[in-house]
Amino acid sequence: MDASLALAVSVPLIGGLLATALPKRAQGLGLLASVATVLVVGWVMAGVWQQGSLHAELGGWAAPLGIALAADGLSAALLGMAALVALGVGIYASGYFRSADADRHFWPLWLLLWAALNGLLLAADLFNIYVTLELLGLTAAALGALTGTVDAVRANLRYLLVGLLGSMTYLLGVALVYTSYGTLDLGLLSNALEPGPVAATALVLMTAGLALKAALFPLHFWLPPAHANAPAPVSAALSALVVKAAFYLILRLWLDVFAPVVTPSAAGLMGMLGALAVIWGSWRALRAERLKLLAAYSTVAQIGYLCLFLPLLQALPPGAERDDLFVALVLMALTHGLAKAGLFLAAGLVQRSAGHDRIDDLGGTAQHMPATTFTIALAGTALIGLPPSGSFVGKWILMTSALESGQWWWILVIAIGTLLAAAYVFRVLSRAFNLEPTPRSFVTQARTEVPALLLALTSVAVLGLAADPLWRLLGAGGGA
Amino acid sequence: MRRAASLIIGAIITALALWLLWVLQTALDMGAGPRLAEQAFAGLPTTGVSNPVTAVLLSYRGYDTLLELGVLLAALLGIWSLGVASPGFQPAGVVLSGMVRLVVPLLVLTGGYLLWVGGYAPGGAFQAGALLGAAGVVMRLAGDETAGLPGIRAQRWLIVAGVAVFVLVGLATLALGQGFLSYPQAWSKWLILAIETAATVAIGTTLAAAYVGGRPWSHAVVGGRD
Repeated sequence: MDASLALAVSVPLIGGLLATALPKRAQGLGLLASVATVLVVGWVMAGVWQQGSLHAELGGWAAPLGIALAADGLSAALLGMAALVALGVGIYASGYFRSADADRHFWPLWLLLWAALNGLLLAADLFNIYVTLELLGLTAAALGALTGTVDAVRANLRYLLVGLLGSMTYLLGVALVYTSYGTLDLGLLSNALEPGPVAATALVLMTAGLALKAALFPLHFWLPPAHANAPAPVSAALSALVVKAAFYLILRLWLDVFAPVVTPSAAGLMGMLGALAVIWGSWRALRAERLKLLAAYSTVAQIGYLCLFLPLLQALPPGAERDDLFVALVLMALTHGLAKAGLFLAAGLVQRSAGHDRIDDLGGTAQHMPATTFTIALAGTALIGLPPSGSFVGKWILMTSALESGQWWWILVIAIGTLLAAAYVFRVLSRAFNLEPTPRSFVTQARTEVPALLLALTSVAVLGLAADPLWRLLGAGGGA
Repeated sequence: MRRAASLIIGAIITALALWLLWVLQTALDMGAGPRLAEQAFAGLPTTGVSNPVTAVLLSYRGYDTLLELGVLLAALLGIWSLGVASPGFQPAGVVLSGMVRLVVPLLVLTGGYLLWVGGYAPGGAFQAGALLGAAGVVMRLAGDETAGLPGIRAQRWLIVAGVAVFVLVGLATLALGQGFLSYPQAWSKWLILAIETAATVAIGTTLAAAYVGGRPWSHAVVGGRD
C-alpha cells in the first residue's frame, strides 16, 4: 500500500474544497495546495524512481472487485510535467486575474482539474478513468469559459458537448470489455484480452472517444476556438495538460492493455492521421492571424507528432531500440507540454499589454517586454525542434527509427512540419525586432513573466541537455 | 443534395448500430458469467451494509463515488462562474403554495428515510439527495428566490460537505495504516452512514442550487468580470 498515490489525488481535491468554501482566501489556499501537490508528486516520482512502479489498492479490496491506483515511468513522467506546469500556471494566475471575482472562480475549478488530472494519470481501472475524464472535461470547459465573452462561452459549450460525446463513446467500449471479460482492472485485462471482434471494436470505440478529446485530426475542430478564447493560464493548462491526458490514455491502451489486439495497419492509420495533423495544424498555425490561435493550431500539429510514433513502435520488436523510441515519444510530449504552457502564458501577457493579439500589429508591444519575447523564442525553439530542446532529441530518434524500419515516408512529414513550424515561429519573432526603443529592465512583471520563462526554459535546456534521467525513469518502469 | 447526405448518414449509423449489436451478442456469448456479482455478494458481510448496490458505491468502488461527487461539485461551480441567477418566479397562488407546504416536508422526510434504508434495501445518498433537490425545485417554482437554501456562505460549505467527509474518512483510514478508504470492519457501517449523510446534504443542495441557475444574489455585489 503506497500512501503517496492516494495523496496525489486527495491533496489538490482538498485544496479545491477549501477554495470553494472560503472564497476570500481562495488564492492563498490555492497556492498552498499547489505547493503541497508538487511535493506529493515529487514523492510519487521518487517512489517510481526507486521501485520501478507503485501500486495501491483502494478501499481494502483487491483488483477485480476494488479499484487500484498505479504509477509507472510513463505516468510518473507526465505527473511531474503536469505538476511543473500547474505550479507555473498557479503562480501566473495569482498575478493575472484583475477582478477578485474571476480569481475566486478560478481556484476551486483549477484545483479540481488538477486532482482529476492526477487521478487520470494514476488510474488503473477502465471505469475509474471514465470518471476522471468527466471531472477533467467539466472543469476544463468551465475554466475555459471564465473570460465570460460570448465567443468563449460558445466555444467552451461546444467543447463540453464534444467532450461528453467522447466520454460516452469511450464508455461504450468499456461496457463491451466488461461484458466479455468481467473485469475493469488494466493489469488483469492486459493478461486476459484476446484478439477478436469484441476487443477490436472496444479499442476502436475507446480510441475514437479519446481522439475526440485529444483533438486528433480530423476531430480537432473544437480545439482552436476553445483554447484561443480561454483566459491565458487556462489555455496553457488545456493545451499542455488536458489534451495530453487523453493522448496518454490512447498510449496506455495501444501499447499496454490492448497491445495484443493492435495490428500494424491500425497503427499505420493512427500514424496517417498524425501525419495529416502535423501538416494541417502547422499550416493553419502559419496562417493564423492571432497569437493564441497560432498556439492552439500548433497543439493540433504536436499531437500529430506523438501519433507518428505509434506505427514505428508497432514495427519494432521489444528491445533497446524500442525503449529509446518510447522515451523519445515521452520526451516530445513533455517538451511540448512545457513549451506550449510557456507560449500560452507569454501570449496572454502580450495580449494583456497590447489589448489584442493580432500578430501583424505586435511589434512594439513585444519589444517592450524582453522576458516575454524571450519566452516566445524559447518555446518556439522547442516547437520547431531545434537543439538543444527536448523535441530535437525526440525528432532525431523518431527520424532514425523511421529510416531503420524502412518507413521513410514519415521523415517527409516531419521535415514539412518542422519547416512550417520554423515559419510560424519566426513570423511572430520577426515582429519583435523593429526599431522601437529597448526598455532597460529585462523583466517587467516578475510574477507572471518568470513562470512562463521558466517553463519554456525547462523545455529547451533541462529536457534537451539533461534527458538522461528520463531513460532511467521509463526504463525502470518497464517502458510499456 | 441535403436529402442524399442525410440518407447516407442514416445508412452509416444503422450499419454501425447493427455492428455494435452483433459485437454485443458476441461479447455476451463469450460467457464471462456473472462477472463480479458473485464476488460482490461474497464480500457483503464484511462491508457493514447488506444492500449490494450501497456496498459497490461506498465500499468496493467508493473512490469512484468520491470523484462522482466531485463532478457534481464542479458542475455547480461551473454554473456559478457564468453569472448571477435570475430572480425567482412570481409567488404562487393559494393552491400551489398550499400543496408546496404539504409536499416539501414529505420530500424531506422521504429523503431521510431513503438515506437510512440504503443500508439494507434500495435507497441511499443519491436517491435521498435527489428528493431534497426536488424539494428545492418545488419551492423555487412556487416563488421562493433561494429555493429554500441558506445564504451563500452556508451553501458553499454544504456543497463541499459530501466530498469533504468522504476524502477525510479516506485520509483518516490512510493515517491509521489501513489504506485509503479501507474502513475498519467494526466502524464500517457508521462511516458509510456518515459519508452518505454528508453526501445527501451536498447532493440536495447542489441540485437545488443548480436549478436556481446562477450565483445567489448576495454574492453579486462583488461584480465585474475579467
